[in-house]
Amino acid sequence: MFDLNFISGVYVFLTYLAGVIFILGVALRIVVYARTPMPVKIPLTPAPLTPMGATGRVASEVLLFKSLYRANKPTWVAGYIFHISFFLLILLHFARHFVYHHPLPSWYQLFVNVGIICGILMVLSLFYLLLRRMIVDRVRIISLFSDYLILIILMMIAVAGLSLNFFISASALTKIDNRLDPFITDIAAFHPINIPSNPYFLVHYSLTLLLIAYIPFSKVMHFVGIFFSPTRYMTDNPQEERYYKPDAEDLSL
Amino acid sequence: MAKTKAAYKVPILTGEIKIPKVVSGISAYEKMYQGEKDDMVALGFPASLEEGWEIKAVGIFKQLLSHNKALRDYMDICVRCGACTDKCQFFLGTGDSNNMPVGRAELMRKVYRYYFTPAGSLFKGLADAEPFSEEMLKKWFTYYYQCSECRRCSYYCPYGIDTAVITMAAREIMDGIGLGQKYSTVIIHKVFNTGNNIGIPQAALRNTLDDLEEEINEETGKDVKIPMDVEGAEVLLVPPSADFFAMPHMESLKGYAKVFYKAGVSWTVSSYASEAANFGMFIGSYRNTKELNKRIWDEARRLKVKRVVVGECGHAWRAMYNYSNTMNGPFDFLDNKYRQPTHICDFTLGLIKDGVIKVDPSANDDKIITYHDSCNIARGSRIGEIPGGQFTIPRELIKACANNFYELRNGTNKAETYCCGAGGGILTDEVMNVRIAGSMAKMQTIKEVMDNKGVNFLALICAICKTQFAKMYQLYGFDAEMVGGIHQLVSSAIIL
Repeated sequence: MFDLNFISGVYVFLTYLAGVIFILGVALRIVVYARTPMPVKIPLTPAPLTPMGATGRVASEVLLFKSLYRANKPTWVAGYIFHISFFLLILLHFARHFVYHHPLPSWYQLFVNVGIICGILMVLSLFYLLLRRMIVDRVRIISLFSDYLILIILMMIAVAGLSLNFFISASALTKIDNRLDPFITDIAAFHPINIPSNPYFLVHYSLTLLLIAYIPFSKVMHFVGIFFSPTRYMTDNPQEERYYKPDAEDLSL
Repeated sequence: MAKTKAAYKVPILTGEIKIPKVVSGISAYEKMYQGEKDDMVALGFPASLEEGWEIKAVGIFKQLLSHNKALRDYMDICVRCGACTDKCQFFLGTGDSNNMPVGRAELMRKVYRYYFTPAGSLFKGLADAEPFSEEMLKKWFTYYYQCSECRRCSYYCPYGIDTAVITMAAREIMDGIGLGQKYSTVIIHKVFNTGNNIGIPQAALRNTLDDLEEEINEETGKDVKIPMDVEGAEVLLVPPSADFFAMPHMESLKGYAKVFYKAGVSWTVSSYASEAANFGMFIGSYRNTKELNKRIWDEARRLKVKRVVVGECGHAWRAMYNYSNTMNGPFDFLDNKYRQPTHICDFTLGLIKDGVIKVDPSANDDKIITYHDSCNIARGSRIGEIPGGQFTIPRELIKACANNFYELRNGTNKAETYCCGAGGGILTDEVMNVRIAGSMAKMQTIKEVMDNKGVNFLALICAICKTQFAKMYQLYGFDAEMVGGIHQLVSSAIIL
């Protein structure tokens, strides 16, 4: 059908598979969370009285991790650095698609350097979070296999990504760069072509696919669940406005 | 059999709250008595644990997951960041890892993962999934009854995960398979039979109120009445029934009576709805909570009152404030000029501000006062018009009625308040050591203001807090009379 070498065939298949698992998995979760009724009002007070206020409250949790800041400052610092650097890296990877055109813009090296700094920060913050899990008694005792697994997958992705900048020659990197864009463009157009074959790149890419496919089954789903947490998104107005969900009655509060 | 005082493990108070060494299972030695047949059946639960309970429990669990967004969400999204691990007073007191909020929740999540997630059913142990075994049920029965549903952990959780929701669901599942807790089920059954937690019948209640009227008359020379079941009164007052019988609660009831007397507002208590407390909430049962709550609004209708005022009780206020309108509203038969229901502190402070009643704060000059924010009022409700009114209104009322007031340490009051250690249906003697451990965090901060400011009175607006602290004060070596309600202060300060 398509003129692909064996290894590309496998990767193309895995890419589509991971994509489908991710999209369906996340969509299913969103639908389930959104459709499950909440029998009673349980905002954690003091809570905003208006939907606007409640939105602001959720935003302060999503953007600033307000509650974590109150709870534990060092964890907040490490957690915040990790999330920001990881988020920026995802953004930069998408942006790269629009930036990487010949001739390269004069600030391209700066663009790459920001990515490298984010990568290093991500590894360091993850390392701190991993050490904390292993050293602090209270955290060690609650840590599950999956908690270590996700930290290690993320660290490996970041290290593999950084290795592309540090462990291979500039010409090899350029070669990957030149072939990556068409690969992504064409796979998105459902007309796949061969994948860049550099092993460092393939490790980075494989781990990323693994992460993407694992997300719907993992605690990473907190990025969806945080928007559906009744203690945070609910308004404190049970007297002003009657809250009643008949389909949620007759069970637990 | 109740333990002797010597058997209790009372910590030494230093004023410091230290994070203990973590030991798994160390507080498992104290368990609740199991619910008895009559009470369980009266509440609509199976009489006792029967063969096949595991399948039944999983069935109820599944139903809850599809009917409760919070539970559904909170089963999945915990990342075990550890933010909550040092926040629970029961962990700080016992050091048991299952009393860390996340540890407690994981007891349910293990079962959840086993039956309801692909990873759990495929990889079992590797995914930390466990079947609902008898051993697991034992852990549930132990640790979901060492939680006071105070929601301090939720305040610190980056996702707002509410352990109270999880605890309530666990209790609902256990009740649904016939494993109930004696204390709460007995009490709910009593309300169904007599109208209140203590089981006071109508005639006995009237007798008590007569005695109290006499007492007030002896103390003040005024003819202050405590009307009962009066049709057409303006206000139906619903206090926790402890206010009728227990000390120091009764002092607050005298305070309410004096406020109504002086304000000239006609009022009544009800023998049918003689209980503000709602233990249905503690066991997480929507049906029972609604049934208990309904009594109050039925009685408001029958007595043709204009407004409902709730006495000093923490979880009762949360249940009345949050659930009433949902479960038994709307209240268009009442006067919509008022918030329905109104908190007694809001009511009294309003009268003082309007100049309807006058208070003399110097009447409480013998007291150096601190105030404990009750968990369910602080984190589960609001008093008055603005968010945080649940903090300002009680404090304004104390300051109006007394001159010497000191706050407890920052970080342990208002939204960050520690629970008294006996909320959520664990105010029972068979778990006294758990209660002592649970009270330790708050007792340390109280000890601090006792030493530094000479505090000799702990003001409260919760019946459970009053009972618990009165008992804890004795066990920790203080005078139980140093504990009382805010309306006890009002009672002394009001100029009749």
